[in-house]
Amino acid sequence: MTAADQLRRILLLIPRLADGKPHSLEQVARLAGVDRATVLGDIESISERFEVPGGFVEGLQIFIEADDVSVVPNHFLRPMRLTRSELLALELGLSMLKGERPAEEHHAIDGAITRLRQAMARLPDQEIADDFRVASVSTSADLNHLRRLREAFRGRRKVRLTYRKPSEEESSTRVICPYGIVFAGGMWYAVAHCEGSAGMRIFRLDRVEDVETLDARFQSPRGFSLDSVLQGDKALHAPGAGTLRVRYSPRIARWIAEREGKPLDEDGSLVLEHALADPDWAVRHVLQYGPDIVVLDPPEVREAVRRRLEAMMP
Amino acid sequence: MPPLKSSKIQRWIDLLAALLRRRFPASFDELARDVPGYTAGQTPDARRRMFERDKDELRAFGVPIETIPSADGDAPGYRLKADAFYLPYLAVRSPTGSRSRKRDPYGYRSLPTLTFEPDELAAVADAAARVRQLGDPLLAEQAESAVRKLACDLAVDPAGDTRLLPASASPAPEVLVTLDRALQQRKRVTFRYRTMSSDSTGDRTVEPFGLFFLNQHWYLAARAPGEDLVKNFRLGRMAEVDLNQTRPGTPDYEIPAGFSLREHARSRQAWELGAGDAIEATVTFRARTGSAAAAYRLGEMVQGRPEQRRFRVRRADPFVRWLLSFGGDVVPIAPRELVDEYDGLVRETLAHHAAPPS
Repeated sequence: MTAADQLRRILLLIPRLADGKPHSLEQVARLAGVDRATVLGDIESISERFEVPGGFVEGLQIFIEADDVSVVPNHFLRPMRLTRSELLALELGLSMLKGERPAEEHHAIDGAITRLRQAMARLPDQEIADDFRVASVSTSADLNHLRRLREAFRGRRKVRLTYRKPSEEESSTRVICPYGIVFAGGMWYAVAHCEGSAGMRIFRLDRVEDVETLDARFQSPRGFSLDSVLQGDKALHAPGAGTLRVRYSPRIARWIAEREGKPLDEDGSLVLEHALADPDWAVRHVLQYGPDIVVLDPPEVREAVRRRLEAMMP
Repeated sequence: MPPLKSSKIQRWIDLLAALLRRRFPASFDELARDVPGYTAGQTPDARRRMFERDKDELRAFGVPIETIPSADGDAPGYRLKADAFYLPYLAVRSPTGSRSRKRDPYGYRSLPTLTFEPDELAAVADAAARVRQLGDPLLAEQAESAVRKLACDLAVDPAGDTRLLPASASPAPEVLVTLDRALQQRKRVTFRYRTMSSDSTGDRTVEPFGLFFLNQHWYLAARAPGEDLVKNFRLGRMAEVDLNQTRPGTPDYEIPAGFSLREHARSRQAWELGAGDAIEATVTFRARTGSAAAAYRLGEMVQGRPEQRRFRVRRADPFVRWLLSFGGDVVPIAPRELVDEYDGLVRETLAHHAAPPS
């Protein structure tokens, strides 16, 4: 912990405690986002002096009792302005949102940046230099579809989704209840209950052709958590899916192993099991690795891959 | 009487209070009377050095302490304006006007009021939530600290309507912290790095230019000393990351003025990466399945041929493998060498899959 960390917390806490009334140490710790011992250490660090108990700066008095602290300050009644680092952290997030949201929302994002810059502490005429961090996620999805799904999720409104399955030439419509929107593995997905199939389904947003928000509302199932459809912390898992078992060759296996967080086999290859909800997905997944993958199971996927390749022969 | 105990944090708070209680610049001697840490049993030079260090550290923290030269050659004065230090009052506009909460009993009424539109405040809350999902502890802490300040006046509640899942091979927090320090101080770093293409691990010394998060991974953009090429290193493949400890406070390098991290970190497809010349590949779409339709949007229009799209390709191998994944729905038709490579890959893959798995 640095003195700067302590200063940041102290300057944030004093205005929140400045009413002269006792505040519980637990509450103060929550405000500062640290534990009770840390906040007690912060307060003691500015209140302990030989010969000058309970306060030192003119008008600043700090009283610590068993579980309470009270402060009577004459300074630091407002928090300090945003520091450059704090501003740049929020600007990083705002720049990510700008890439994820349609143009009509950019005005609000730009306005937020302007407002935050007005709240930053800086010397007169001091420029805000660029940061050395940028962040973005890919947005192959239609940003208006993403926005409408976000709004429907927030308002708990049902949606009529026009969706083209990866293997089908014709799109279809269905009514869904969006339970969450997730960015994983370079793609945006809507996790939703599909009324037509009466089950949980996962829709890749770059395959969505239209989103119509309906008046009808829905309630998420009691106790529902997105985590229940996330495999570990990275992949999306469709409930009721089968299993595709494949082996990746040593030529490519280390990349897959790194991505999946799995150890390689002794010969440098990697055997993995994937959730198999859609056989056509399995064929495409296998084809992208060319001769560097073998389908171990199920045999029908292996056969489907072979048939598809025969049809592709020049 | 024993000397007053004076920690750095006490001196800082005392100095800030001494500055804020004055409307006009004050000299060091004047300020020192209000800061017990500058009067406790030290030589005048040592006290002065302590003050200079404190002032510089507070400025580095972000406190806008001004140095005001004296017109008559006396010692300079120092000033911290209350409205430059304290957060403005914050309000959010509502249909009935903006609501401000100037409720403290002591004044500070000269501070301005900064009014957010409701959608601006919502964007700030969502931005902070997005930053927390990136896995960088320093970034998360800074965003959290900013939100706590804003929350003194406003409800900063993220919509929580989207979630960013981190990659499984996320970097250790201490790696991000060390690289952040290196960038702040412009110091070289050394680390062990696993190169995936050669499946080898070796030592690297680089000059960091920036950190970028692309899709689900953090990367370091950096240059080897004496080289021009800026390379990317995935943080999840680094180990034993150390900051150059020699000559602390002295930068080891400078980042060229023309370098743009944002441009460098622009998202690209695998076939667009590389230093070679790009070729123009034309592909035809034989079906409009969902996956083919998504691929169609990545290409450029071919005049008069709506079933075709054009792609700029620097690396043929990832491109033809990507085309292979469409199972014949998307195939290359030009140039000839790319078509041959694709056909060869189809033959090789069929031969591989025709045999039973061993």
